[in-house]
Amino acid sequence: MTSVSVVGLGASGLVAAQELIAVQALGAIETVGYYDTDDDRMALGARVLESATRVTALGSEADVVVLATSAGGHAITARRLLEQGSHVVSLSDSTGDVIDLLALDGLAKRVNRTVLVGVGMAPGLSCLLAAHAGNALDQVVEIAVAKTGTAGPACARQHHRALKRPGRDWIGQEWIMRQGGSGRELLWFPDPIGALDCYRGDLASPLLLQRVYPDAGRISARISATRRDRLTSRLPMLRAPHEDGGPGGIRIEVRGLRGGAFETLVYGVMARPSRAAGVTSAVAAERLLLGDAAPGARGLAEVVNPVNWLRSVVDRGVRIVAIGDPIEANRTPTA
Amino acid sequence: MLILVRRVMTALSMASMLAALFRIRGAGGTPPRSGGWREVDGPDLR
Repeated sequence: MTSVSVVGLGASGLVAAQELIAVQALGAIETVGYYDTDDDRMALGARVLESATRVTALGSEADVVVLATSAGGHAITARRLLEQGSHVVSLSDSTGDVIDLLALDGLAKRVNRTVLVGVGMAPGLSCLLAAHAGNALDQVVEIAVAKTGTAGPACARQHHRALKRPGRDWIGQEWIMRQGGSGRELLWFPDPIGALDCYRGDLASPLLLQRVYPDAGRISARISATRRDRLTSRLPMLRAPHEDGGPGGIRIEVRGLRGGAFETLVYGVMARPSRAAGVTSAVAAERLLLGDAAPGARGLAEVVNPVNWLRSVVDRGVRIVAIGDPIEANRTPTA
Repeated sequence: MLILVRRVMTALSMASMLAALFRIRGAGGTPPRSGGWREVDGPDLR
């Protein structure tokens, strides 16, 4: 019996549960469960997720548990879930969570289960796109990831925190810490978002991409911010964040060598971050049930064939765009 | 004082005429308003 539980019914968790129910209707999953510590969110789940099962304990006995709770403490929950025999999909984009979850690699391999780390819009979908671009190149020299927009309130708070904390760039084979809110760069996001100023911050994407491309000369990530965001980043959030942050986007630029010449591949996504994160995590849960990821703790850039995952994301209505002509992959990455 | 005002007016008029000349005759074109994105479909995801 295949079962998936979604823990945390925020904006992204709700989309993930709805997407999994759609898969359930096709017969690929037998039961979809949901759980949240907040009674109001559980009531919302009962209204919106009619065919799903209310789970009383934290993802009890599910084959796959999608952790869509606020950032922080994901590794503690993931450890418990691994010990009870579940695969884990974590949506946290906090660098602390990502580091702690990756440290569960040994335990996950011992119990023959997989922990997918940073499965949101960025990191997550951005990692799949970076891996797809990397597969088209003979050698990856530089990866730059940028994100704009937020999903629910928890994501907005994480975005606010990220901007004030130092971020890490992988430059010349070592991690270099840079001040959050520094390094302004004007980046073009997919239409209709357009050009936005983006800055360094405490972002997890470089951590996950460096595992796949340790020889790259530079791996960096930036988030968009206004002058007000930067000015108030060191203060508590001055007003409550929106229930859903609205349209957002990601931009992934991968430079490298192909056939002895330099190529630059640019991919982007324009979507509500909650939708992109929810769909990506639902696809990850589905792929785990199909045995499409090796045991251990890993990010989405480490999956063997990112094209299959991306196709599933596109099939669910997330629009991926690119600059330049199509380039076919010329090698298969190792898991 | 009058000479100073006259010089300032002359300088401003010349600057305006020069700016208008560049604006009307310049060949810089219109800055891009979109990023040149295209939808990723079949050939990209093979």
